[in-house]
Amino acid sequence: MITNPDLQLGLTKAEKKTLRKRLDREPNTLEWAMVDAQWSEHCSYKSSKPVLNQLPTKAKHVLLGPGYDAGVVDVGDGYIVTFHIESHNHPSAIDPYGGSATGIGGVVRDILSLGTRPIALLDSLRFGDIKTSLNSKWLFKNVVKGIADYGNCIGVPTVGGEVGFDKSFEKNILVDVVCVGLGKKEDLVLGEAKHSGDTVILMGGSTGRDGIHGVTFASKVLSDESESERSAVQIPNPFLKKLIIEATLEAVHTGYVRGLKDLGGGGLTCGISEIAEKGKNGIDIEISKIFLREDNMTPVETLISESQERMLFVIKQGHEKDIQKIFDKYELPYAKIGIVKDNDKITIKDGKIVIARLPVETIVNAPIINRSVKIPNYLNKLRKLEPPKEPMDFTKILRKLLSSPTLASKRWIYEQYDHEVGIKTIVKPGQSGAAVLKLDNGKFLAIKVDGNPKHCYLDPYNGAAGGLAEASRNIISVGGQPLAMVDHCQFGDPNNSEVFWTFSEAVHGMADYCKALNLPCVGGKVSFYNEDTGTNTAIKPSPIVSVIGLIDQLSNIRTMELKEHGDIIIELGITKPEMGGSEYYEYVHNFTGGLVPKVNFITEGKIQKLVLELIKKGLADSVNDCSEGGLALALVEMSILGGKGINIDLNNVISECNRIDDVLFSESHSRMIISTNRNYVNKILDLARNYGVPCSIIGTVKNDDISINISKKEIISLTLADISKVWGDVIPKCMGEVN
Amino acid sequence: MTSLNRYTVNIIIENKPLIRDPEGETILRDLIIKNGVTEVTKVKTAKLLKLEVNAKDKENAKKIMEKMCNDLRIFNPVVSICKISVSSDI
Amino acid sequence: MKIAVAVFPGSNCDRDTFNVLKNNLRIDTDLIWHKESNLDNYDAIILPGGFTYGDYLRGGVIAAFSPIMKQVKKMAEKGKPVLGICNGFQTLVEAGLLPGALMSNISLKFICKWTKLKVENNGTAFTNICVQNSILNMPIAHQQGRFFIKDKYLNHLIDNNQIVLTYVNNKGKISNDINPNGSIMNIAGISNEEGNVMGLMPHPERASEPALTPLRSADGLLIFKSMLNYLKKA
Repeated sequence: MITNPDLQLGLTKAEKKTLRKRLDREPNTLEWAMVDAQWSEHCSYKSSKPVLNQLPTKAKHVLLGPGYDAGVVDVGDGYIVTFHIESHNHPSAIDPYGGSATGIGGVVRDILSLGTRPIALLDSLRFGDIKTSLNSKWLFKNVVKGIADYGNCIGVPTVGGEVGFDKSFEKNILVDVVCVGLGKKEDLVLGEAKHSGDTVILMGGSTGRDGIHGVTFASKVLSDESESERSAVQIPNPFLKKLIIEATLEAVHTGYVRGLKDLGGGGLTCGISEIAEKGKNGIDIEISKIFLREDNMTPVETLISESQERMLFVIKQGHEKDIQKIFDKYELPYAKIGIVKDNDKITIKDGKIVIARLPVETIVNAPIINRSVKIPNYLNKLRKLEPPKEPMDFTKILRKLLSSPTLASKRWIYEQYDHEVGIKTIVKPGQSGAAVLKLDNGKFLAIKVDGNPKHCYLDPYNGAAGGLAEASRNIISVGGQPLAMVDHCQFGDPNNSEVFWTFSEAVHGMADYCKALNLPCVGGKVSFYNEDTGTNTAIKPSPIVSVIGLIDQLSNIRTMELKEHGDIIIELGITKPEMGGSEYYEYVHNFTGGLVPKVNFITEGKIQKLVLELIKKGLADSVNDCSEGGLALALVEMSILGGKGINIDLNNVISECNRIDDVLFSESHSRMIISTNRNYVNKILDLARNYGVPCSIIGTVKNDDISINISKKEIISLTLADISKVWGDVIPKCMGEVN
Repeated sequence: MTSLNRYTVNIIIENKPLIRDPEGETILRDLIIKNGVTEVTKVKTAKLLKLEVNAKDKENAKKIMEKMCNDLRIFNPVVSICKISVSSDI
Repeated sequence: MKIAVAVFPGSNCDRDTFNVLKNNLRIDTDLIWHKESNLDNYDAIILPGGFTYGDYLRGGVIAAFSPIMKQVKKMAEKGKPVLGICNGFQTLVEAGLLPGALMSNISLKFICKWTKLKVENNGTAFTNICVQNSILNMPIAHQQGRFFIKDKYLNHLIDNNQIVLTYVNNKGKISNDINPNGSIMNIAGISNEEGNVMGLMPHPERASEPALTPLRSADGLLIFKSMLNYLKKA
């Protein structure tokens, strides 16, 4: 029934030659398949490693950086936070419910495999146009349901996220999920087989033919044949995952778990090879011990299967029974499948017969591919395009902008996510720019996921650096000091030198930001091949980033809703005419072109420090950052959430713009809005001057309407009641749910 | 004008045979077997849609239903199969 | 005084409930695995929220047959306080300790939001320190929270004062548009005739800390404190 996997190897001619050379013999079928899985782009990062090396990964508080299942950050008092990002784009495009659900399963397993309890999830999603495309609507609805059903069932709150809509994602949606875990330093377990003689136990779901060639599936471009590739579809089983979470954490607390790894892409092959390599040991595996779900599975199928919910445990020799007792309590299947050996080989046995033997170094180190780069032709043309005409009726324009699903209220989504389980969620979805969780040591963790493919398309360097700047500003806006980031680079076919150029530029931008702002990268992923042969379109370059930050006490947490009538609204930073990739141009004018907001690292650093100090000194009541939708959206959000109107004079906004729409909707970086009691204004102006941050009073909190003026002339007038309804109903209307 | 007859159509949507059914497996293991009904060896979950359809004859009714299930994505062919049965009993 | 919090395969809110009792209220509390056969030493038991057995077939139905439920029934018969929160409420209903049925939300979607609840009966083991007709803030998070009961039995509930909590609006009035799941008469929580067994869909353990609750209300604590008060008086 399954076609001979031999016919579907993804290895190139050169790679086959390298393998033969390294082994100094012809590999057998099983060995070919194992290396094929491990050397796939998805598992080996063969194209991206040279580029990713630019990202800074070290800091005092970073215990573990990229290269492990998740990054580990020290948050003080003996506690650690683990952090990872994953995606399931291709499976979700075909089975949105199962694909997104199992995506959650995958990222949670990564957090779990370090011995920490998953405490929060975030999702970052991209779809086509849900206003006009039935297919996009179907994908959106089912992806959200998949994430909801899975996350809710395992009891991990989904506390935040972001969604964007753009035609380029019509066929290639993006489903990124971030997971954060919490644990004690002493419970940290690494994915390594360090002690020879230790037992390797496989636990959890049984092994079947699911996902065979899943990693090569992700490493190939989607074509019409994909719909029939049923072996790449994975069925979620969150109940099983929940049992695995509890059993694993109980096992870790015994102290006898010396290595832990979840099985994901590349199945057992990758899992075993990676723990062997990290532990600098070999491993012997007895294939007959692996518990299977289907009949007549070949050794190849067994070793590359991507069946869900499987974990590898490396147990201290002699203590297997202590761990098995726990697995029995939860009625979880398991088997002793191997032993750690004091050699450098992965040896697969069937009974006494050795059916494969590969040096660890050979499997794990795929030959690096140096891809060529070429600046895309479209870039220069787009940057120089004549901008759209300035509109006359700004009230109408703002209403139109607020009806963009990308900017509208996401309540339709987050009310389907249990965001309260765990009783840690202090700042809840929809309340502010970032979510805030209570940690067990009295401190608070802010988390945010962000990315701007529209910016990246026009300028990958600034678009990617900008994604980090925006995520960091969101962390700042709730009072958090950014600690670390993870990134997920999603691009088209790396064989296309223009695509690879955008990837290199994006990573370069992120690396420069991280170096300048002292933000270490503790992990991440790269997913290529996000394009479709039918239309020959790649997705817009999509580096998605997640940033975590620490807040040391409850009183330093802020949210964005306007608090009191009479409060003063202050704008920090300079608004520049950088309209390229803005939601205003793209959604209101259907226009792609212009210059993308540049990130000035020094300016960005200053404003972040200033705002944190203002918060700590109790001088800022409500804080929001300016990003998509510009100043206008930032103000409207604060107004709608607080249920309080605003009166703004645009003349007071510090800007280099000649046009009114540029001032309102530019997405320039390094800008934030705060509202505060009028008694604090002078102190704020002083502090801003000290920092060298441009600062200006632009309005007051008053009444029930949004009034934006230029001197005495009102150019935008909206009632709160009206605009709240418009903004709140966008997505429910698209989904056919409003009367 | 051809006269139309009324048919009852049952559309059963279930996971493809080789695809897992965690719900069915859990019901079998944790509810049925654990509580002593060991005669049961397998449980599959499915969704049943019961429709009333006007058509020329049974074949026609089935054809219409098949097209509908495919066009309107009543089932996702990647994950599920769709069994259509038509009867003239109302 | 010793309180048991049951843990079934798939329970999620057991540790939350345990933490509120143990750390906020400083009560001697134990997490009890569902296979436990003796609860004689416990004065009350709480069935927490979650997705026992993945909510497969129906929420709470597989858990209702768990070994521990025999003990729960014994405790209920003895008049000890038994509380079912969310999935725990579903389990009590499936086990026959409370009447009615909990069906899928009318919107067919999972819903997580804060609701206002009216105390319809402050005479139960879990509401005796609440003010009659007062409004409490508590969050819901469920897919199958629509309470349903046939007319005849609904009349019993009303006559016996078994409706304990209802979903109300800001003004304390029952209305259709704030009914989050289509529950008959906006019912959010009910008790047995004796008033010692109660089930509610909202999560009091999630409303027990000011920093986590809107308006810093922490109304959830009233449910647990009422239980302690009931035990003290018994």
